[in-house]
Amino acid sequence: MYRQGDILIVPVPEESVPGGLRPAPRDARGRLVLAHGEATGHCHAIPGPGTLSRGFLHLPEGGRLVHEEHAAISLPKGWYRVVRQREYVPGSYRVVAD
Amino acid sequence: MTTLTWERVAVATGPGEGAEEAVRQAYREAGLAEPERVLVLPSPLAGAVAAAWLTGDEQVRASLEQAIVKQNGTAVPAHGGGDPGRSVREAVRTGPWERARAAAYAELGPGGWAERWAETGGRLWPQVERLVGDLRRAIADWGAGRAVGSGRDSAVAAGRGRITDLGADQDGERLRRVTLDAVLGQHDAPWLSAFDDADGLGGLMRVAERAGWWWPYERLAIVTERPVELHLDDLGRPHRADGPAVSYADGFALHAWHGMPVPPGFGATMTGLTPERIRAEPNAELRRAMLEHFGIERYLAESGAEPVQSDETGVLWRIELPDDEALVMVEVVNSTPEPDGTSRTYFLRVPPWVRRAREGVAWTFGLAEADYRPERET
Repeated sequence: MYRQGDILIVPVPEESVPGGLRPAPRDARGRLVLAHGEATGHCHAIPGPGTLSRGFLHLPEGGRLVHEEHAAISLPKGWYRVVRQREYVPGSYRVVAD
Repeated sequence: MTTLTWERVAVATGPGEGAEEAVRQAYREAGLAEPERVLVLPSPLAGAVAAAWLTGDEQVRASLEQAIVKQNGTAVPAHGGGDPGRSVREAVRTGPWERARAAAYAELGPGGWAERWAETGGRLWPQVERLVGDLRRAIADWGAGRAVGSGRDSAVAAGRGRITDLGADQDGERLRRVTLDAVLGQHDAPWLSAFDDADGLGGLMRVAERAGWWWPYERLAIVTERPVELHLDDLGRPHRADGPAVSYADGFALHAWHGMPVPPGFGATMTGLTPERIRAEPNAELRRAMLEHFGIERYLAESGAEPVQSDETGVLWRIELPDDEALVMVEVVNSTPEPDGTSRTYFLRVPPWVRRAREGVAWTFGLAEADYRPERET
């Protein structure tokens, strides 16, 4: 697994990925956006080929995870689950965004 | 008069002109005779007291009188006696709404109606519902002889063995039930926004643009004015540090801190907060608001907290709080240094059962400690 700030990328077997997911559109710069920052406008993104749907990332040729404030991470080809970091709030929790 | 959007109607303040004529129009549109009298009162509390008085029996009137005596200093309206007749809320409000909804549903279909609702009332309702709920609670608190916004304090105190005044709570509940008979005036904006082009709702809409909650009876309509002041934070929640967030002309008021009902004077204490003051606050909800305002990192630094454990993922801090779950935080160092070479640290609150920093960080990603093994981190 790989961590970039408040995002964790966990490899998963292809069989565990639910079928029939609709791929999310790419942003204006043609990137797959895994998570937006809350205040900064920065985001965790994959510039190259691949698909992202409902928190599952498929990189058939591998890829590079980039962010304005973090070093890039090379990801081998395969399927991944994208996990956002959360914070505990008594009675509930909230998602963290850096 | 400028035409307000429904968003603005819901939070409009000050007396609105022509409310009485609008009420009479609503009666006519419902196929009813106009009310013989229209009584205009300054607040939903005054309206609820008058409605409970006029529709209640001797026992209700006696306990209302007691409540009024207990709350001396709170202005209570003088209202004429006389039989107001039966409530005509069904005919004036519910029937016309139901017809408008059925017509819209027939025209738009289930999907179209869901879409219409999503872009009108569904957007507005959560904010207005909060305000309506807070007003109802404050009216019940008044009836129970409690200061507005102190209900939660009493609940905490009761948990420690204080005996609550059951009779007073019944009086409060009676007044709260009366508020359920009100037509909500400006606070009907979310529903009316979905029927903006419907026939037969002109009177209801005009009342909503001019007045607060109102009670329609056969022979009498009780109409109340909008607040004189309403202060909201950037998320649309009632909030004010130096006075009531919502106040009416007769002094009925709601104090709120970012949407949370608080006792009067709570906002003022937030400027001089100290860790000691926060620790001494017995009400857990108020203490959380204080902690958030003071800053948890600053609280850790100034309260002399000691880290309980550290490993390569970060440092775990724990502070016991009286009558509340412990405040447990992981302090994490950002793996990628800032441009100036320093590393930013940040704190994440984790559940109180967490004992190790790694366990805490794993929890923030929904993982068990043993499963959290990143091979690369940036």
